[in-house]
Order: sequence, then C-alpha cells, then structure tokens
Amino acid sequence: MARQIFVYVNDEPVTVYEGMHVKHALISCDISLYEAAKNEEIIIEDKNGFEIGLDGALNEGERIYTRPNILA
Amino acid sequence: MKRILHIFTVALLFFVLSTSCAFSTEPSTIGITILHINDTHGHILQYLKKSISSEIPVGGAAQLAAMIHDERIRNPHGTLLLSGGDMFQGTPISNIFRGKPVIEIMNYLTFDAMVIGNHEFDWKQDALMTMIRSADFPVLSANIMDTKGHYIPAVQPYIILERKGLKIAIIGITTVETVTTTKPDNVTGLTFLDPEKILPPLLQDVRNRGADVVIVLSHSGLDADRKLAKNVDGIDVIVGGHTHTAVTDPVVVDTTIIVQAGCFGLYLGVLELTIHRETKRIVHWTRARELKTVFSGPDNPADIHVAGIINKYNNRIKDVFTRVVGETTVDLVQNRRGESNEGNLLCDAMRQETGASIAFFNSGGLKITIPRGKITMEAIYELLPYDNVLMTMDLTGRQIRELMEHGATLPHGGILQTSGISVTYDFKKPVGERVVNVDVGNNPLNPMNVYTVTTNDFLAAGGDGYTTFKEGENIRYGDSLRDVFVEYIKKLSPVGPKIEGRIVIRR
Ligand SMILES: [Zn+2]
Repeated sequence: MARQIFVYVNDEPVTVYEGMHVKHALISCDISLYEAAKNEEIIIEDKNGFEIGLDGALNEGERIYTRPNILA
Repeated sequence: MKRILHIFTVALLFFVLSTSCAFSTEPSTIGITILHINDTHGHILQYLKKSISSEIPVGGAAQLAAMIHDERIRNPHGTLLLSGGDMFQGTPISNIFRGKPVIEIMNYLTFDAMVIGNHEFDWKQDALMTMIRSADFPVLSANIMDTKGHYIPAVQPYIILERKGLKIAIIGITTVETVTTTKPDNVTGLTFLDPEKILPPLLQDVRNRGADVVIVLSHSGLDADRKLAKNVDGIDVIVGGHTHTAVTDPVVVDTTIIVQAGCFGLYLGVLELTIHRETKRIVHWTRARELKTVFSGPDNPADIHVAGIINKYNNRIKDVFTRVVGETTVDLVQNRRGESNEGNLLCDAMRQETGASIAFFNSGGLKITIPRGKITMEAIYELLPYDNVLMTMDLTGRQIRELMEHGATLPHGGILQTSGISVTYDFKKPVGERVVNVDVGNNPLNPMNVYTVTTNDFLAAGGDGYTTFKEGENIRYGDSLRDVFVEYIKKLSPVGPKIEGRIVIRR
C-alpha cells in the first residue's frame, strides 16, 4: 500500500501519495500551477535545473521548481 | 650461409616493421555509442511542445527512427540502442492496441534491450507476457522475482553483447515502488528486490563472464540512480527512466555516468564513450548536450516503414473509436451543481470495480453529455479525456463530511458525484454547516467509523481543493478509470441511470 510522502514545490512542502507524479504535486500545492503547466505556460524543473515531465515519478523529499516558459 | 643470414635479417626486419606498422594504425581507444530513450508512454505520433517550438512538432517515432539510423551509420559496429522502460501505456493509439504499435516499431529498430518499467504492469501480467513474447529484443529486470524466487518468464536479468571486440553487460533494474504504486492484482506474486542488494553479485557475475563495460538499464528515477551509483561500485553507465528527467548534460557520480532522455519520445539520448583498448576504462564521454530533440516537422527526415506502422494503427483507431461499447436508454447528463445521472453511473462503476462502500468523482471531470442511444468508444474518450486511475483509501465519517462541506463552498459548482452515499445540503446555512444529512447505504454516516472510499487520482491529490483526500489511509491504486467505465457499460448495457436522490440540495 502506498504511503504519504512529502515533496517540495518551489520550496513549499506538500503531501502526495507514493506513486503519484509531478502533476499531483502541483495539484496538491496549487491547482493554478497545474493548469499553467498543462498549458505549458510554466516549465517544471528538478533541483539540478533539469526539466521534468508532468507524469514523472516523485521521490520522498524531492524538490521541484516552476519557471515561466519564455517561448509560450 | 651469409646470404641466408641476410635474407633472414631482411625478412625479420620486414616482419617487425609490418607488425609494428599494424599496431601503430590500431587506435588505442574504442568508440561506443549508446542510443537511449525511456518513458515513451505510447507517444509515437508527433505533437506540439511549446517549450521547444510553437510551430515544429516533436516526438514522432518515424523521425526518431531516422535519427537512430543516422547515428548507427556514424558508428556502425559500435552502437547500442536501449530503452529505459514505461514504453506502452499512455496514448489511445498504444493503449487500445495494448502496446502493439510500439513493440512493432521497437522490433523494426532492433532494440538491443529494454528494462521493465512500473507502467508495464498497468494491463496486468498476462498482457505484459504477451508484449514480452512479441518483442524480438531482450526484456530485462534483475530485481523482479516470482514467489519461487525465479525471474519472471521470458525476462532476463542481464545480457552481454559484443561491440568492436568489447563485451558490454546490460543489467535491468525496475523501481521497487512498483509493488505499492500499481494495482495490487497486477503485481500479485511478484517481489521487487532492493537493487543495492542484488547488484553486487550480478556485477561480479558479469565481470567473471568477461564484461569490459557494465551498463545498468534502470527504471528507478534520477535520484535513485544517483544513490545506486554512490553505493554500488563497478557500474560504468546508468541509462535511466521513470522521473521523465531531461538530463541534458550527463550526471557523474564517482565513476558512474548517468543519463536519462526525458519522456514521450521528445529526445534521443546519444552517449558517446571512448574506451581505452587495454585498460577498458572510459576515457572520454559526451559531457554536454547529450539529448537530441526529435523534431517531427515536414522538413525532418522520417523512416517510411515506421510511418507505415503508425498510419496502419492510426487508421485502425478510427474504427475502434466508432465501435459501440453499449447503449443508454436515457441522455447521460453532467451537472456541476448537483446530482447527475452520468455521475451516478460512473461512480457505480468505480464502486463495483473496487468493492468500496463509497465512490466520489469530481463533477468537473465529466466533460460531455452522451445522448440516448449507442455509446461509442470515442464518446467515452471525450467524456473522460484524462488518463485518471482509481484510488481507494480508508477515510473516517468525519473526513467524509469534511469533503462534502468543502463541495458546498465551491462558487462554480464542483460538488462530488457519489455512489453508496446520499447527502442533503442546505445552501442557506453558513459554510461548514451545509451538510445536513448523510447516509451510507441505509445508515447515517458515523463520524467515528472508517469507510472504504474509491476516487480518482486527481481528487486523491487534493484536486479542486478537496484536501481531505490527502489524509487517507491504506491507499490502493486501481485500474484506468476509462477502462473500468467501458467494462461496466459493456456488462450492463443498456444502461439507464436516473436521478434518485443521492444529492438533495435546499437553496
Ligand atoms: Zn515509471
């Protein structure tokens, strides 16, 4: 059974269930971030600045960041 | 005698010169190219990605194939083509044909190996076995075991390939979270072992068998791969997946090079290694811009055979979309502000699938009204366009009441559609007191009781502000919501759901 895990969206802690994806962390944090990401107005990156997909897997304690998509 | 000695001396000199010449022309290094993709999730059709280009589409498998051919021409005897897993689930063209189009393309491209990803279990083990058996390439996972401690049928822990005289071992690793993040029925009887425990003896094994280079093909995610590289000695390269990370510049942890090529067919990873012929050490590798974008516009070369496979299934999908899955004797109507017969039908399907006491669905997730008559597959996709899955959890009566109170505060509607529970709202009352009566089955909701509740992953993440769903216990993942709904309609057709007082609103 999946447990609750903490991840950080723009350094703000949010809870999701193990097995949830980047999009769930955005939904959990602020639905408008999810909508903006779906519309490609923002890009999601990991702590190293690598772009990650909305369906990418999350690990406990993971930090993800949003930045505006300058091409959108 | 002198003459014989002279001839011998000349011959010896010639031999020494010719052999030393031969040695000096043999380069001291060997070039190996690792081509890799991961997490394609059925994306073989091109699409627009605004962060790359608002005009030129990306991600077409026919263009990817052309890029793979080009790379192979550059290093014809030294190239490997690998997949980091999660190849099939995620688009209608792949989902409907249970991954067949992707397998056909991978077979044509002669992949050297693929690792099993967690989503390879989404369609149950039988479907996975069918896919593996139809693959002409090795499917790997060294850490999935059956109840008897054997590797699962037709799956190998590793392979050893030869390129330019080098022996290259490729070991597969699947994320250990698969067991908790997949519908339990789909992974029954399987154990996912800790890679850090199983890898050291396997590394020893492949080295004993002469492996000069060891690649771990890992569907575990970038952070897990970093940890693996730190804690397990002797891995030269990790080709990853799972976190959908576009690792533009390879990550190096100690002496291990880690790569991952984003997702959805957007990139082809091209890792060029220069390996010392004697020491077999990697002396150079691609340090930046390792990912090549798969542009798929009209000016980008495309492989005709792959384009043909895509067209074949794209045409068939039109037939599948027009296929009738069942019939309804009434219009199926959505309603964001109250009970809807469409919501009732969907929630009944969800509850029957999982056996939960209660099912909840977000009203905004129902996208169209389906008119009375035949229900096509296309209509189901239009009704439920997102790839949501069922999630089942334990919630107390108090938490359930909290959820419904939240629904009564949403200014633009978005009340929870239900099954197994009926609720009366009084919108004249203050916020927090609007739920005036709740029954589960025939009994009043008891705030202290624990109820099994099925919902979808959007609500389970707290979507539409239903944050109490994030407090559930005993979380179980389920099947695709769309698949569950289709099966339910097929079984019960013709359906005729009614408004039956599950949600009563006093205004
Ligand atoms: Zn995955």
